[in-house]
Amino acid sequence: MAKTEHYVIIGNGVAGSEAALHLRQRDQDSRITMVTASKLLSINRYVLPKIFSSSADWRDFLLHPPEFYDQQRISVRRNTWVTHVEPEQKRLILRHRESLSYTKLLIASGGGRYIPESLSEFRDLMLKFGSYEEARSVSNALPKGGHIAMLGGDMIGLDLARSLVHDGYKVTVVGDDYLFWPHHVDQEEKQKFVAVLQGMGIDVRSGIGVTSIEEGARNKPARHIALDNKETIDADVVLSFCGLMPSVAFMAGAGVDIERGVLVNPQLQSTDENIWAAGDVCQIWSPEENQYRFFYGWENVKKMGEIAALNMTGGHESISTFQDEKLIATKTGQIDSPFWQYG
Amino acid sequence: MAKNAKQRTDIQIAICGSAGDGTIAAGDILKQAMAKAGYNVIAFDVYPPEIRGFGKCIARARITSEQVYSLKSESDCLVSLDDSHAIPHVPEVCKYGTVIYEDTPMSEMAEGTHISSHLASAQLPYGVAFREISERVTSSARSRNIVAVGYLAGLYDMPAEIFHQVIGRKFSGKPKELTDSVLSAFDAGFQTGAETFRLHFDRIGASRSKSKQSDLVMMSGNAATVRGCLDAGIDTFFGYPITPATTIMEMLAREMPKRGARLLQTEDEISAIAATLGAGYAGARAATATSGPGLALMSEMMGLGAMAELPAVAFVSQRGGPSTGMPTKTEQSDLNLAVFGVAGDGQRIILAPTNVEGCYKCAGKAFEMAEKYQTPVIVLLDLYLSNRYEAVELPVENPFSENCSKPVKKKPGKTKYSRFKLTSDGISPRAIPGDEDCMHTVTGLEHNEQGRPNDQPEIHQIMSAKRHEKLLTAVKHPGITISKRFGDKGKVDVGILGWGSTFGEILEAMIEARKEGIRCSAMKVVMLSPLPLGPIHAFMDDCGEVLVPELNYEAQFAALVTGATGRPVHRLNRVTGTPMRVREILAEIRRLAGQTEMIAAE
Repeated sequence: MAKTEHYVIIGNGVAGSEAALHLRQRDQDSRITMVTASKLLSINRYVLPKIFSSSADWRDFLLHPPEFYDQQRISVRRNTWVTHVEPEQKRLILRHRESLSYTKLLIASGGGRYIPESLSEFRDLMLKFGSYEEARSVSNALPKGGHIAMLGGDMIGLDLARSLVHDGYKVTVVGDDYLFWPHHVDQEEKQKFVAVLQGMGIDVRSGIGVTSIEEGARNKPARHIALDNKETIDADVVLSFCGLMPSVAFMAGAGVDIERGVLVNPQLQSTDENIWAAGDVCQIWSPEENQYRFFYGWENVKKMGEIAALNMTGGHESISTFQDEKLIATKTGQIDSPFWQYG
Repeated sequence: MAKNAKQRTDIQIAICGSAGDGTIAAGDILKQAMAKAGYNVIAFDVYPPEIRGFGKCIARARITSEQVYSLKSESDCLVSLDDSHAIPHVPEVCKYGTVIYEDTPMSEMAEGTHISSHLASAQLPYGVAFREISERVTSSARSRNIVAVGYLAGLYDMPAEIFHQVIGRKFSGKPKELTDSVLSAFDAGFQTGAETFRLHFDRIGASRSKSKQSDLVMMSGNAATVRGCLDAGIDTFFGYPITPATTIMEMLAREMPKRGARLLQTEDEISAIAATLGAGYAGARAATATSGPGLALMSEMMGLGAMAELPAVAFVSQRGGPSTGMPTKTEQSDLNLAVFGVAGDGQRIILAPTNVEGCYKCAGKAFEMAEKYQTPVIVLLDLYLSNRYEAVELPVENPFSENCSKPVKKKPGKTKYSRFKLTSDGISPRAIPGDEDCMHTVTGLEHNEQGRPNDQPEIHQIMSAKRHEKLLTAVKHPGITISKRFGDKGKVDVGILGWGSTFGEILEAMIEARKEGIRCSAMKVVMLSPLPLGPIHAFMDDCGEVLVPELNYEAQFAALVTGATGRPVHRLNRVTGTPMRVREILAEIRRLAGQTEMIAAE
C-alpha cells in the first residue's frame, strides 16, 4: 500500500495557497495542512487597498471561500505559528506546543515589514498594512480624506498610495534608500519617477530622513513627523514601507541553509530533500546572475507555489529566473510595475 | 448570513470544560450578568454523573434582546477550558462562529489533540493565554475560568460593571482578597478581549426595556419551582435527594425555616410521600420532590392519596431511564408512570410546565389544585427544565390563593359529617383532624361517604366515578394556562402538540416554519391529566397533520393523545439525553407540509 503523504505548508499567502491547490490536484489521497498565524483563511493581500473604498468585510478579500477548503480537504491551522522545525523527525512544533508531522514541507511564510534601524524606535507609532486586520486598523484610524505618511516608499506602499490618492486621501511619501524597492533605479531615473508620482498626486519627499515621530498635538492629526531638513508633517497614520524581511526565524537550528531567506535551487528545493520554499521567503539560485536572489510580485509568487507543488509530488521543473523588473512611466502620466500585476 | 452586524442580539455561548475547571461557575456569572443587564437569557448546564472526577461540563447560554423559547442547535461561540471535552462540540459552532481556547497549554500536545486542529474552515479561532493571564494577575492558574468570562465580555462588548456586581455578589462572604483577585482576573481577561481584533459578526446590541410592573429575575426551573412553593405558602416538605430534583430540596431547606415552615429529609422516597400525604391530611400545604426512580417508589402511596382524597404535591424532574438510567441527562419518559403508575384507577392531576415561568405558576397552582380537588398533584419537570435558566418576570402581586379547601358548612344542630359526601361537583367538604364535630375515618380501602370500608359493587362504582369526575373541572382551574395555541389561526397544514421542556423548541420550529410559508400552529398542553380534550380536539380539527415531538422512545404523550381522542398523530421521538433540536422538528414539519400538499393534490 502506497504511503499517504502529509504535505505541510507554512504560510497561507498566494504561494502557499497556490501550492495547496496544485498539491491536491496532483495527489488526491494526501493530507494537506496549512499553518498560518492569521485567524483568517488566505487573503488576497494585493487587493487590500480596496478596504478604503468599500464597506467590504474580510470575506470579500478571501482567495477562496471556506467551502473550498472543505471540498479540497485542505486543513488550515490558523491563529498559530511554527516555533521550530525538526527535519530529522520530520515534524514541526506549533506555538501552542502541539507537534505536527510531515512527509514533505513547504515554507511559504512570506516576509514581514522590514523596519530600518533608524525607524525602529518609532515602531509603536507606526501601523502595518500586511494583513486584513492591519489594513482594517489603518482604515479605522484614517478619517475620510485624511493624511497618511509613508516612510520608505517601496512598491507595495506606492501601490497603496496610488489607491489612496484615487480615493481622495492625502499621501506623503518620505523616502530614499527604499524608494521603488525592489526595483533598482539609479538617481537619474529616481528623479524621473518621483516627478511622475508627484504628477499622480502623491507628495514625495525624496532624499530626506526622519528625525522623530511623536503623537500629534490635541486637535491635530495623530502623528507629528520631524524631518532632517527641519520640515514637519502632521499625518493621521504613519506606515513604513521599506521592503520585506523573510520570515525564517523558526528555521533557526533546522540545518537548512539560510542567507536572508531560505536558499533553494531553481526547483525550489532547500538543502533538506523534504523541504521546499516558495514566495517572498526564499532566495532562488539564479544561474544567470550566479547568485541567490529574491523574486517578488504576485506572478512570481504564484508560479513558485505551482512549481513547488509540482516538484513535491515527483516533478522536476525549474522556475524561470529571468524576469522583467523594469519600472515604467506610462504615457498617461502614471507609473507601472510588473510587481503590480495580479489577478 | 447577512453581512452587516446583527441589530438584534441573539448570541448563544457554550463554555465547555472538565469538572473542576469552574465551567458552570463561569456560565453562571455570564448568564446572571446578562440577565441583570436586561437581556433575555436561556441557559442550560450539562454536568457529569460522577460526584467526583473529571467529567465533562458544558454551560450554554442564549442571550437575546427579543423573547425566544429555546436554546439554538448551534452556538455562536464555544469557549474551551478543556480541549478533550470541547473538541466533540466544535461542529456545534455555526458558520463564522467563534471558538475560544487556551493557546498556552502546560505541556506538549500530541498531533490532533489541540482544539484548533478541529475547527471547520468557516469557524473563527481565538487563541487566548488564559493560564498565563490568570497566573500573571492572581499568581494562580485557578482563575482561568474567570479570565475566560472576562475575555468573552470584552470581545462581545458586554457591560463590565455588571459583571463586577455579579462577581461581587457571588463571592460575598469570601475574604476580600479573594474577591479582588477574581475581579482582577476578570479585568485582565476583559482587557484582552476588548483589544482583540474582531472578525465575528455577532454583536451585543441594546437590551430590551424592563417591565415596570414586575421584576426580571434570572432563575432555573427548579428555583422557579421553589419560588412558587414559597409564594403559595408551603408549610412542610419531605424529600429524599435525587438528581435532578435535589436542588429543589436544597433551596427549600434554606428558605423554609426563615418563614417558619418545616423541611425534613426522610430515609427514602416512600417515607417522603407518606409524610407529605399525612401533612396534607393534617391541613398543611405539603410537597415532596423526586425523579422517575423515586416516583416509582411512591406509586403505592400515590394510590392512597387518590383513594383517601388527600392533597399532596410531588415535583418529579425526569431524567434518562429506566432504572438509574442517565441521572444527568434529560428525558420525558416518566409520563406513563406519572399518569398510570398506580394500582387501580387512581387518577390524579398532572401538570407539566413548558418553561421556567411555567415552573413558578405550576408549582403554586399545584397546591391550590391539590387542596381544591383533594388529590395528589404531580408537577412533571425534566432535567432540561429543572436546570435551565431563563430571565423571567414574576408578578408583583402573589397570584396564589391562600386556601382553596372546600369548607365544611356547619348547620345549626348536630349534623353528621361525611368526609366523602357525594356532591354535584364530586368534591366533598374537607375537614382536617381535630375540627369540631368532624370526626371521620380515612382508609385506603374502598369506602362509603363516611369513610368506612365498604366494597359493595354500587359503592365502588359510584366512588370511582366521584374520584374521577371531580377532576374534570380542574381543566378550568383559574389563573393557570392548561393549554394554549400559538401560530396560525384556523386551518393549518401542520399542527404540533407539545408538552414539557420540549415546547420551547417546538415553538421555535413553528416560527421558522411560518417564515417559510408553511401554515402551522403549535399547542402546548400543560395539564396532562385530566387532558383538556376540548381544546385538543378543536386544535386537531384544524390541523392537516399533527406532530408530537417528545424526548422518549415510546411516544408516551402521542399515545396518550391518540388513546384519548382516537385520532392518529405523527410521532417524533429522541432519547439522546439532550434537548430536541429545532432543526429536527422543523425538518419534520417540512416533510409533513409536503405530504399534506401531495395528499391534497391527489
